[in-house]
Amino acid sequence: MSQTINSTLYSDMLRQGAASLYKDKTVVNDLNVFPIPDGDTGDNMYMTLKAGENAAKGNSLGDIAHEAAQGMLMGARGNSGVILSRIFAGLAKGLEGRDSADAATFASAMRSAVKEAYGAIPVPVEGTIITVLREGAEGAKGNSLESYFDSLLEAMQTSLDHTPDKLDVLKQAGVVDSGGAGLLCIFRGMNEALHGIVSEEEAAPQAAAAAPALDLSKFTEDSVLEFGYCTEFLLRLTRAKTDIEHFDEKELIDWLEAHGESVVAFRDGTIFKVHVHTFTPGEILNHCQQYGEFLTLKIENMALQHHQESNKNNASFHKPKEKYGIVTVAAGEGLIASFKEIGADVVIPGGQTMNPSTQDFIQAFESINADTILVFPNNSNIKMAAEQAAGLYKDADVRVLPSTTIGEGYYAIASADRDCPDAEEVIEGAKSIMESVATGMVSRAIRDAEGDGVKVVEGDFVGYQGKSILSDSPSRKEAATALLERMGSAGRDVMLVFTGEAVPADEAEALQSELTTRYPNLEIMFNRGLQPIYDYIFVLC
Amino acid sequence: MLTFFSDTDCDITPKECAQYGIKLISMPYTVDDKVIYPYVDWQEFDAHAFYDMLRRGTMPTTSAMSEEFYVKTFEPEFAAGNDILYAHFSSGTSNTFTIMDMAVKKLLEKYPGRKFWHVDTLGISALAYNVVLEVADLVKAGKTGDEIVEWAKTEVPKFPMYFFADDLKFFRRSGRVSGLAATMGGLIGIRPIIHLNDEGKMVSIGKETGRAKAIARLVQYVQDLGDDVKGHRVVIGHSDCPDIAAEAERQLKAIYGDDLRVVTTVVNPTIGSHCGPNGLGICFHAIHR
Repeated sequence: MSQTINSTLYSDMLRQGAASLYKDKTVVNDLNVFPIPDGDTGDNMYMTLKAGENAAKGNSLGDIAHEAAQGMLMGARGNSGVILSRIFAGLAKGLEGRDSADAATFASAMRSAVKEAYGAIPVPVEGTIITVLREGAEGAKGNSLESYFDSLLEAMQTSLDHTPDKLDVLKQAGVVDSGGAGLLCIFRGMNEALHGIVSEEEAAPQAAAAAPALDLSKFTEDSVLEFGYCTEFLLRLTRAKTDIEHFDEKELIDWLEAHGESVVAFRDGTIFKVHVHTFTPGEILNHCQQYGEFLTLKIENMALQHHQESNKNNASFHKPKEKYGIVTVAAGEGLIASFKEIGADVVIPGGQTMNPSTQDFIQAFESINADTILVFPNNSNIKMAAEQAAGLYKDADVRVLPSTTIGEGYYAIASADRDCPDAEEVIEGAKSIMESVATGMVSRAIRDAEGDGVKVVEGDFVGYQGKSILSDSPSRKEAATALLERMGSAGRDVMLVFTGEAVPADEAEALQSELTTRYPNLEIMFNRGLQPIYDYIFVLC
Repeated sequence: MLTFFSDTDCDITPKECAQYGIKLISMPYTVDDKVIYPYVDWQEFDAHAFYDMLRRGTMPTTSAMSEEFYVKTFEPEFAAGNDILYAHFSSGTSNTFTIMDMAVKKLLEKYPGRKFWHVDTLGISALAYNVVLEVADLVKAGKTGDEIVEWAKTEVPKFPMYFFADDLKFFRRSGRVSGLAATMGGLIGIRPIIHLNDEGKMVSIGKETGRAKAIARLVQYVQDLGDDVKGHRVVIGHSDCPDIAAEAERQLKAIYGDDLRVVTTVVNPTIGSHCGPNGLGICFHAIHR
């Protein structure tokens, strides 16, 4: 076994770390304290680490560690992903300027990782991933890498086993911390790489995990091209083909606009980035290839993607500068449309089980031309990635508001006064309205549980508010009405309802009629949210 | 002879005009580039069909009348030796009256013996309607034009109207309400409370969450500001939400008794083009607006 870690070995460690996590990803996902599908920690950490592995380029160990950390910073998804990205940023700091690291150097880098991870969290909670990291680093001893990693893994395992002692929610749910478990998987994989074990590429590459699968059945033998092709590429201007100093990007943009639609094109140094909708991508490519060669290329039939959000592709520089831009996160065709209707500029598709990455947020910011960008993550597990993106983005004053539910985000966005000259006033107003809103949801239980005096049976419908389970019933409608009763609906003024994709229209109608009779003073508005997982989202104000 | 005019922006219908001896000026609205004159291009206002069209996304517009229009409307009366009294919707919401004034000035020069009185209701819909009916009562009682104009000076400012709208995009587009925050509150049940001030202009003066609270606030205004409420009509105007209007009436009668003179009107399409569907307003006699 090697006595030092060099750049190649570190790359292998990242790769094997990801492979190891991939293998146990489902186990990590299932370490869920809540009996509702949420926070896929394993997926989030895996996708974050893969973003690091893909970015890890360089000659020296220090460079590779730095690039990997940068990649993870942008690819971070979910709170566990954000913390993982900070752990690797700390490691990179400890390895800065090094060509190789022995056990002592790596131990020092691990201490740097602990410091960075704790520093990233405003109020560190023990019994989580950071505890497993810290206690692992503290318990790791040995002069050789082998003995260091053996003791590190042992200490991490012990720490993980004790996480329920530190955190009541884990104890009640009878699980260990999922983030800590994910971290242990990663370090196990890194240890395997030290022993020369490097797996073949894991089953699902990153791209497949990140991009929503295209539905090829949307364009058949009988289809007629209606939407054209979404064509995106990076073109490197080359000296062989063009006079780079005098290259007129405006002329090319004009040409693109004359030959396509939704053109977003700009030049960054010698790279020319193009997004265009066209019926004849070949014509566009041939024309642009006069000036250089393609670095990347993506062409998609828009019939397959026309229902997907194309927010990322809408350029900001075509739009006049606004005082405010609003970015939020939601899943479900109807819910996304509703958010747009109330004034969200960009709705990043995602939510509880699909957490957007830091990069997703940055792309959203880039598509907005505004002085102040207000971000409503609508989920506590998405907030950190949004904040990380806000910290990295420099072209606008980005403010992440603490909306933890769809209801809070929805009310705050709808009531934001876009004409108000004072951003602080808008932010304070949003915070205050978020406090006045209560959001309840109905989902199917993924396992038996007991909480707040309600016995949850796997497969039943569960009504809950925040982390409090308020109802359980084999009938979805009954779970909904019982939830609303316990939420004190009678004392409220307005109820917004977003029905999920699983709810048939007649059930929603029956519920609406029942609620209207039961709460005559409540103004009830039903919307077809078509969101996954949450069969009903109730917002009370 | 005195010829008494009013206009369709005051919610008054041809049937009521016949009853009170009023000549009705039709104020048009435009849908899909087609200019439509109420009670000229159609005879009965199908409020539900009209407001459903707005609910489905149509945004009608309105426009001021031409000088020629006013000349054509008023000249035959002067030519026949009649004087004119015109009780009209608020000059604070339209510049049509600047144009009318120019037409009247020219006509009075042409017909020097004739007289033109006008009562600016400083209101629209239910408020204008209430004042027009008050004026009709005075005309019926034989009051002169001068007396009615004097009455209007002190009494018109005593007819407030408080109202709310459901979907703010209509008001926002029309730009006729000041103090309206640029929010999408309608979609989350937050309703701005708007009133017509002493200049007949619409001002947003607060907001309520939920329809029940919004209705309660309008009723509260009647209680807080009302003066000899039962000695006058209480007019409830709604834009195709009769149930909500009925609830407001129920609450008012619970306070003032079943003999309260409540009259319900449907907001005419021209004003409705600015306020949108599901709006409710209450006009009553008060100490001030």
